Amino acid sequence: MDWQGQKRAEMLMQVLLVASAVAAFLAGYVLADFQLMLLVYAGGVVLTALVTVPDWPFFNRNPLKWLDAADAERHPRPQVSAGATAGAKSYYGGNAPGKN
Amino acid sequence: MHSFGHRANAVATFAVTILAAMCFAASFSDNFNSATPTASVKILNINWFQKEANGNDEVSMTLNISADLSSLFTWNTKQVFVFVAAEYETAQNALNQVSLWDGIIPAKEHAKFLIHTTNKYRFIDQGSNLKGKDFNLTMHWHIMPKTGKMFADKIVMTGYRLPEQYR
Repeated sequence: MDWQGQKRAEMLMQVLLVASAVAAFLAGYVLADFQLMLLVYAGGVVLTALVTVPDWPFFNRNPLKWLDAADAERHPRPQVSAGATAGAKSYYGGNAPGKN
Repeated sequence: MHSFGHRANAVATFAVTILAAMCFAASFSDNFNSATPTASVKILNINWFQKEANGNDEVSMTLNISADLSSLFTWNTKQVFVFVAAEYETAQNALNQVSLWDGIIPAKEHAKFLIHTTNKYRFIDQGSNLKGKDFNLTMHWHIMPKTGKMFADKIVMTGYRLPEQYR
């Protein structure tokens, strides 16, 4: 998923779960059936998981621009100097962070 | 939200949190139930009334216990626990409560009932105070929910009196 996709996935998850809960509660309250409320909500949770957890294509509409190999050689990562003080962290450059 | 596991965890955690909120709302909705229960207990017979060897009075009676507790049931009710207690005052205790009968009502359909029975539990006094004693028969109930708060209430029925002499 790209960044926009992650944001969209999180937003979808929140909206879908809250909507499932509201629909489930109303159904259960109006029909006086507690078990119905739980079943509707469980269905909503499964639907939400199916929509937001897998890496669907529509979560990748704003793909990150990775450098291709030739450009990467021309812009090498900064090296940590040999005499660096103990505990110094090296900052990893590059145009895009590591993919997961 | 940058991995499958991360998103799966987020869905699971948020889903459970919202479930807790729904249970709270379901329990809260019980407050809007206006209940109109009715009950009456008739003592059909005093079977016997004796002083035990240890000095405590005991009485056995046959009762007709009738009630309509169906209005207590909501969508969030698991069962209603109901019991009938004899309540009276003695010099030793400001309030004595002796449970004579109890039952569990599992569903609204069984909430309107008439029970003809001797007392399920023994009516034994702390001492020998029961001769000619005026007492109340109180029907208590606990509305046990599927989730959340349990409500308890009672109906007090007055005007009962034990015999002046043992029999």
